[in-house]
Order: sequence, then C-alpha cells, then structure tokens
Amino acid sequence: MANRGKQKLNLTIMVLLSAYLILPLGLTFLYSLFQEWTSMLPTGFTLRYYVDLFQDPGFYLPILRTLIISTVPVLLCTAITILAMYVIVVHHPKWQKYMQIFCTIPYSLQGVILAISILALYSGLPLPFSDRIAMLVCTYCILILPYIYRGIQNSLNAINARQLIEAAMLLGYKPLAAYLRVVVPNLLSGITVSFLLSVSLLFGDFVVVNIIGGSYYPTAQMYLYKMMFRSGQQTSAMIVILFALTLLISAGVLVLQQRNKKSVAHKQEVADGFHTI
Amino acid sequence: MAFIQFEHITKRFGRNTVLDDINLDVEKGKLVTLLGPSGCGKSTLLRCLAGLENPDGGRIILDGEDITNRQPSERKVSMVFQQYSLFPNMNVFDNIAFGLKIQKIPQKQLRTMVEEMMAMVELQGKEHALPRHLSGGQQQRVALARSLVTRPKVLLLDEPLSAIDAKLRKSLQHRIQQIQRELNITCVFVTHDQDEAILMSDIIHLMNQGTVEQSGAPIELYTSPKTSFAASFIGNYNVLDGAAFAKLVGEPAKPNDVAIRPETINLTLEAPQMQPDAYVLSGEIMEFSPHGNVIRYTVRVGEQDIHADALFRSFKLFQTGQKVYAIVEKRNCLPVM
Repeated sequence: MANRGKQKLNLTIMVLLSAYLILPLGLTFLYSLFQEWTSMLPTGFTLRYYVDLFQDPGFYLPILRTLIISTVPVLLCTAITILAMYVIVVHHPKWQKYMQIFCTIPYSLQGVILAISILALYSGLPLPFSDRIAMLVCTYCILILPYIYRGIQNSLNAINARQLIEAAMLLGYKPLAAYLRVVVPNLLSGITVSFLLSVSLLFGDFVVVNIIGGSYYPTAQMYLYKMMFRSGQQTSAMIVILFALTLLISAGVLVLQQRNKKSVAHKQEVADGFHTI
Repeated sequence: MAFIQFEHITKRFGRNTVLDDINLDVEKGKLVTLLGPSGCGKSTLLRCLAGLENPDGGRIILDGEDITNRQPSERKVSMVFQQYSLFPNMNVFDNIAFGLKIQKIPQKQLRTMVEEMMAMVELQGKEHALPRHLSGGQQQRVALARSLVTRPKVLLLDEPLSAIDAKLRKSLQHRIQQIQRELNITCVFVTHDQDEAILMSDIIHLMNQGTVEQSGAPIELYTSPKTSFAASFIGNYNVLDGAAFAKLVGEPAKPNDVAIRPETINLTLEAPQMQPDAYVLSGEIMEFSPHGNVIRYTVRVGEQDIHADALFRSFKLFQTGQKVYAIVEKRNCLPVM
C-alpha cells in the first residue's frame, strides 16, 4: 500500500518535471501554428510560417553553415585531445594533473570576452591567423575543450589504458597504434556524450559567432536573430525546426551506437544458440 | 649459454633501488619462478625483460641477442598480466587473433591457429563472447591463449592467478604447467605464493629487496634455505637466533641463526629414549590450528615458542596445556645466515 503511494508520488513528480521542461518548447510550437494569440486560446491555425521558411532560399545555407561550424570544431578538438591523452597515458602520466587544470580553464572564459580578445589579437595578423572562419573554429575548440576532455578522461578512468597498451605492444604493436586500436574504441561512449553535448552547445551559440563570424559566416542563429524583428510566429517556427534538427542529430548518433551494441549481442546469442543445439 | 641472461641489472625509481645488480640465468624450455614478497623487485625484473621498463644498468640477453634497448614489440616476448588486460571492445576470437593480425597472416591460417589455441585452453564455443561476459578463469585462459598464439620465445606471467579463487587456481596452475611442457616454451613466472612456486617451477629465484636471495630447484630451496629470510619465507620454518637455539638445546651459542622445519619436529606424550642424533625438548602445547590436512602446534619450550606440524589424524590430537616432548633430529637444524 505504502509502495503504491510512493510510486504515484514519483510518477507525479516526473510528470510535473517533464511538463515544466517541455512547456516552453510546447508553447513555442503552438505559437508557430496560429496567426493570433491575444486571448486565452490562439486562433487561426496555419502552417504558413513553416511553408514560408522552407520556401525561402536563404533558409538552407545558414542551417548548413551552422551544422558545419557545430561539428568541425568538435571533431578537431576531439582529435587533438585524444592525441594529447596518448602522450599523457603512454609517456608522461605525471602531466595528467596539469592537463586537467588546462582543460578546465575555458569554463571560466566568458564567450564575449573570449571572442573579442581573439578578434583583437589575431585580426591584424596575416592569413591564416586573421581568417574569420579559422578564428571561429579555434575559438569554438577552446570553448568545448572542457566537455571533450571530461568525456575522454572519464572513459579512460574506466579502463586500465596503460596496461592495455602494454599488452598490445607485447603483441607487436607500436605504442601509438596500440592506443588507436585498443584504447580509443573504448572511449567511444564517452566521446559520443561529449560530442552531442558540444554540438548542442555550438549549435545554440550566438554571441561568439556574431562577434567573430559576423557577416562573413551568417549562421542559423543570426538568421533567427534577424527574423525576430519581422515575425514572432516565424521566429517560433524557426526555433522548433532548429530544435528538431538538434534532436535528429542526437537521435542519429544514439541509434548508431545502439545498433553497434545489438550487433555484438546478436552475434553472441547466435553463438550461444548454436552450441546449445 | 643460458637462454635468458640478466647481467648486472639495476633499476631505480627516484631514490629507491628496486633492482640491485641482478645476475641470473634462465635455461630454455624451463618454467622459472621469481618468488618474493611485495616490493622485492620481481615484477620490475619481469617488466625489464618484457621491455616495459628500461633498466638503469646492465644487459638482458635473449637467445644470444642483447635486447636491452629493444622495443617490446621487437622482443618476441609475450606476457599474461595479473588483471588479464583483455581488450574490452573485442570478443574472444579477436582478442586471441590480435597479435596475429599485425603479422599479416592469411585469414584461413589465422582462423586455424586461433581455433587450435582455443581448443588448447578449452574455450571452444566462446569465440563471440566479450570479456565482460566471461568468468575470471575464462578470462585468464583467453589471456594465456592470446599470449601463446603468436609463438613467442618466452612467456611471462605476472601473478596471473592471484585474482582467482583457490580451487580454480589449482586447476589453472596444472593447465599452465601442462601447456608449458607441451609447447616446451620458456616461462618466467612471478608470484608471492610459495606453494604455487614450489608446485609449478623447475627453478625458483627467491628475491628480497632487489636482490636474489637464493636460487634452486623447489625441493632444494624448501629443504635447504641458506638465509633467515629464505627460511622464514619458504616452508614456515622456525628461525631461531644462535643464542636462543643454544639455550633451547643446552649447547654453546652458535654464530648463525638456526632454521627448523615444523614437519621435522615429532611430538610425543611419553619421554623418549635419548638419541645421539636428535635433541629432545620438553614443552607444553600452547595452541593448535588446522591447516588443511596438517595440524600446527605451538609448543613452548622454556621461553621459546616453536611450531610443529603433524598430519591431521583426528584420533591423535594433542590438547592445549598438555606436556609433550619434541624430538628434533640434529640434521634438520639448519644453520642460516
């Protein structure tokens, strides 16, 4: 009896919490489907705002730019961090604490200050230092470094990386090859989480891309910003589309991960079933 | 010429000298054990042979070649780790085949070699299992198969059975011995378990504080320890300093310590006849405890406690407080340094 009461309470809390989290997006979506909402309920259901967006030729390029600028720095930062961790795991384990401090510093950097500082430092220099896209990519790499590092480090903590590398070396592999073949595949779950987190972060960024990218690299966020002054409903439609896009990317990555796990489990089931017969 | 030669091997970690001028040889096809307490340097010596540590001084010769400065991948040496170190993202087949893939062995031949090795360690049917789905004993057998399939010159085992329960350990000890003899492969085994060392080894090198205390066949080490450390580490010896022993037996003080194996002490209730080749000591049973098929008695003789082992015969048990006579043959009182 007491258990059922407790279950009901837990369920109620979950429902309320979910509602609280989903409510802003839900209302935004609702707003994008109606022409007017001046009283209690909105009026004039229409899909016009979505249709207008998809029919606007200037809509797709900012989205594409946003996708590119959200993923390229993440991939670059991940690659650099993985190689840096190789140096630490294999050659200099004592540098681990310095790496941790170094990778935590960006948490304290404000986006505005970072963007303006980088612009001030590099804009007067020759190419490629003064290239806005390069600056933007590198700035984003700094911003997401703590998330990428933490994901990789947590995964490394779960395995005895050094001993795995030693085992691979004794089987004929050079240290770097051993690290890439044996350790990195075991970091994928941590990297996946960091990847999704970082992509979401960069996808939603406006401040840094506006200051550094500006008119050189207009992204979906800047397109959205301009739309705010034109139509509230269309802005809402744009927000819903961007959210759906982020959701699609996350779902895609997670589905790929699940498929891989199921494939391994299936092979094991087949083997077990074969030998039971 | 020995198959493996350690010549003047020295290794320091900071100010701590872990290996102090080690010289020892390993003959081909033998199972040699490095035995000693934690921190004596046995694992470090093994890792130097594997190339995972670089000695600060000395040379390591393997099959006539100086391998001191060679990379681990160039030494043709395999190692089984205490924690198995199986690759978590690979199944059993891929773990075992890992070392063969870099040799670019044709797929068909690779499959045959892996299957033969799996049969040798009795893991058929587990090809697609991931390490986390295996028991400790199975994981260790995978680690063994992975190390052997590449046909190394030397197999190193760094306390491979210490994480496994006692019953399974005996079975794996026997299996490792069998495989070693079948393949006639040179093995260097590291353990702190003296029973394991005595059971499995052709030769034991007993190490203490970075040096080799004593080397020899298991029986030789067990019956003839040369130092107090060797006596106290192997075989549960009673180790008495010269003065204490002299007081015990009523003789002039000896310059060395004396070691007496517990199982060589016979206990009786009746006073025995005087024997020219044995000491007869009068004492009292202070306590006793069973150790498998042996009962260990603590006997107080004068001010000295000595341990005596007797086979566990339930109809013949001395009780605490009983007066007994301990008969020790003089030849079983070994002087040690």
